[in-house]
Amino acid sequence: MAEEPKGAAPADAGAYTQYHVVQAGDTLGKIAQKYYGDASLYRTIFDANKDQLKDPNKIFPGQKLRIP
Amino acid sequence: MRLSKIATVMVAAMLAVACASQMEPAKKALDGINEAVAAAEAAGASKYIPDQYQAVQTRVADLKAAFDKKDYAAVLQGAPALLTDAQSLIGAAVAKKDEVVKALGGEWTNLAASVPQLVAAVKSRVEVLGKSKKLPAGVDLAAAKSSLADATGLWDKAQAAFTAGNVEDAVAAAKDTQAKAEAAAAALKLTLPKAPAAK
Repeated sequence: MAEEPKGAAPADAGAYTQYHVVQAGDTLGKIAQKYYGDASLYRTIFDANKDQLKDPNKIFPGQKLRIP
Repeated sequence: MRLSKIATVMVAAMLAVACASQMEPAKKALDGINEAVAAAEAAGASKYIPDQYQAVQTRVADLKAAFDKKDYAAVLQGAPALLTDAQSLIGAAVAKKDEVVKALGGEWTNLAASVPQLVAAVKSRVEVLGKSKKLPAGVDLAAAKSSLADATGLWDKAQAAFTAGNVEDAVAAAKDTQAKAEAAAAALKLTLPKAPAAK
């Protein structure tokens, strides 16, 4: 299991923050589709994980992403 | 014969006078007991020590019944001990309340840490889903918003109660907030992590 990401979060959600562990084949768009029903909201996930994502097109299996 | 009639009348008159002379002290004794019971109630006796409080109330009722029957001697005999017991209710209620509030204080600390986080998580998801062109299957955003609004109002109430020193109401409102926020999360199909462990 990937180490708990540090840095900016929906910090208010604290212990109730939802996470998604990236699987092979995932994209931020697919993840947004899964949680929000709308792939175009991928930016929301990217913005919440800027401490570990530099490029929204580059995510890797095992990364633990915050899902606002 | 006539002498015995006169004696009977005199004895009856003396008894009546004696009775009447006991009425005021008996009334005063009952009033004192009623004041002590009222003070105990103000200290929360009926809530925090209900059994003891009820036992005293029963004895007060018996004494009042004796007074109504003009058995002032019985009232004067029973009043001192009952007054002592009624007065002791006050200290007992205060002590019990302190004990309850102390225990609730810990619970409040935990809720004050976890509930805002829960509400924030739900609020965040509601905001994001508000922008979605098509909600995920089974998500009821309207229901979630309604529950979230209730949760927010309840949390304000919880904080106000705590600030006012009413820990019991604060904890109750915090728990209601938690329930509403969890209902909102369910409407969002938001899987929440396990609640943080109590400190």
